[in-house]
Amino acid sequence: MRKRILNNSLLTIMFGVLFFSFSNQAFAQEDSISTDPAAIAAGKSLFSANCKSCHNIHEKMVGPALANVYDRAPSIDWIKAFIKNPTRVIQSGDQYAVDLFEEYGVYMTAFALEDEQIMDILAYVQDETIKGPEVVAADPTAEGGGAAAAGGTVPTEYLNVIVIGLIVVLLLILGVLVLILNIMKRYLNQQGEMDEEDRELVDQRFSLGSMMRSKAFIFLATFILTALVAKGVINGLYNVGIQRGYAPTQPIAYSHELHAGQYEIDCNYCHTGVRKSKSANIPSANICMNCHSAIKPESPEIQKIYAALENEQPIEWVRIHNLPDLAYFNHAQHVQVADLECQTCHGAIEEMEVVEQHSLLTMGWCIECHRTTEVNTKDNAYYEKLLEYHKGEKMTVEDIGGLECAKCHY
Amino acid sequence: MKLSHITLFLAGGLILASCGAGKDDPGREYAPNMYHSVPYEPLTQITDESSGAWVSSLENGVGEYYNSNPNNPNGMTMRVPPENSVPRSRGGYLPYRIPKDSLEMAARLLVNPLDSTAEVVAEGKVLYTRFCSHCHGDQGVEPGKVGEVYGGVTSYKSAAVVDKPGGHIFHVITHGKGRMWPHASQLSPEERWKIVRYVQVLQKQ
Repeated sequence: MRKRILNNSLLTIMFGVLFFSFSNQAFAQEDSISTDPAAIAAGKSLFSANCKSCHNIHEKMVGPALANVYDRAPSIDWIKAFIKNPTRVIQSGDQYAVDLFEEYGVYMTAFALEDEQIMDILAYVQDETIKGPEVVAADPTAEGGGAAAAGGTVPTEYLNVIVIGLIVVLLLILGVLVLILNIMKRYLNQQGEMDEEDRELVDQRFSLGSMMRSKAFIFLATFILTALVAKGVINGLYNVGIQRGYAPTQPIAYSHELHAGQYEIDCNYCHTGVRKSKSANIPSANICMNCHSAIKPESPEIQKIYAALENEQPIEWVRIHNLPDLAYFNHAQHVQVADLECQTCHGAIEEMEVVEQHSLLTMGWCIECHRTTEVNTKDNAYYEKLLEYHKGEKMTVEDIGGLECAKCHY
Repeated sequence: MKLSHITLFLAGGLILASCGAGKDDPGREYAPNMYHSVPYEPLTQITDESSGAWVSSLENGVGEYYNSNPNNPNGMTMRVPPENSVPRSRGGYLPYRIPKDSLEMAARLLVNPLDSTAEVVAEGKVLYTRFCSHCHGDQGVEPGKVGEVYGGVTSYKSAAVVDKPGGHIFHVITHGKGRMWPHASQLSPEERWKIVRYVQVLQKQ
């Protein structure tokens, strides 16, 4: 009871403070900043078009956060003058302007806005100030979607648990059956009223040793063992030099699923060499910083980029696709000239949290594609003559020498 | 005697069966000294000198897999080109030397070497989609998916930039401005000029 009274009084005080501050504001700007929804809407579009690139209402960006600016700044007229010509106000020696310049180190761009437009922007700023900073709710679609997707199929861990459970149950049943058999045997022996045939049946001894020594068993066991080992050996031999499924842990837990999938950043943005050179290139840290100078700089993984830059240490990513030195492969030829999608060879990279090798990268795999793929001759004068000779028929990579040894081995 | 045969047989099978790659295991290679490059290979670096010593046929005594240049910082096999070196380019583009703080000078002096032909604009659009649209959005007005998180993305139609000349745009792509970081390492001067043409098309829409 006492607690509730306390709560109530707290609430009253809070409401009181809120009411007081609101009414205070309303009083202060009564004759200046409009609360008219039309003015606020106009201010919003003006703000997005002109101010947003450097200012946020509640966050410091290139310039100061604008919440409460109408109370903070010397006067509304000062704001108008500053927006129209910031450099002149700063150079006039106005203390407030000089302090701002010293804090942010840049001259704000001058904007040729009408007084009414500036008032509209202030109306929008006031409206946003009163609303307070937007509370970022956790994105329900991201997590819900994942759960829904997982619901469709049983995860493998559960399958294993189920299988182990079944085996345990079966063993228990076997044990119980053996127990029952023994009890029945003892009971029958105690009764002692059996004819010869039945007695033979009951006394029959299962001998593991004699069974193990039987020819049939030895043959069967040898056969199964040899078959299993042979299968293992053949599989093993086929896997020599194949790194499909290699998904090493990287020094920074970078997710292609997040960057290329969720945020749809183009592959070319970071892998700048892919259309120009043999290698697609691993982006250098300055490309990471194009976004991470502002996005999540506090994350421990992103702190590793900062550390690499500060210490001038390269980030030692683990190379996944290791084509043997005896084969030559060129990204530019395949991506820029042939116009292949990255996913053709690298799989659904935009869905990979950790990148793994998707393709076999064997010679047979290369040749298979060269045999079936038609040459991309679109807008490419280099192929004009060849097209004349191949008029009307399919021109595959093989047809223009794509299987020559020296194309890749030299 | 017989048991040891079986064990050998099994062990051999197991060893061969474990040749495949796994999560952190790249698996085994056939003829490993044909696999690993002896010359410096870009984007490869193995600093351990004894790596691959068991197959090594090299006279300097280092392992077959060792691939690292001790003369470079951090033993890297790649290094930054010497200062003031000029890359060869088809259009004869010279490196852009106007410093970051001279934005107004760049805007005044620079002239786009490419005309606003349909071809240049189309190529500019492709480059814009790859390098700009995730922040500036498809139309350069509303921010793209990354721009929404990054914040402070300039609309090309805002009063502050809508009338700026091509040299201004080129300079900003090269050196960055405000919250935008430089993109010169990702885009050649020719590509930047193409993007300038497309951005100007967007501004006039």
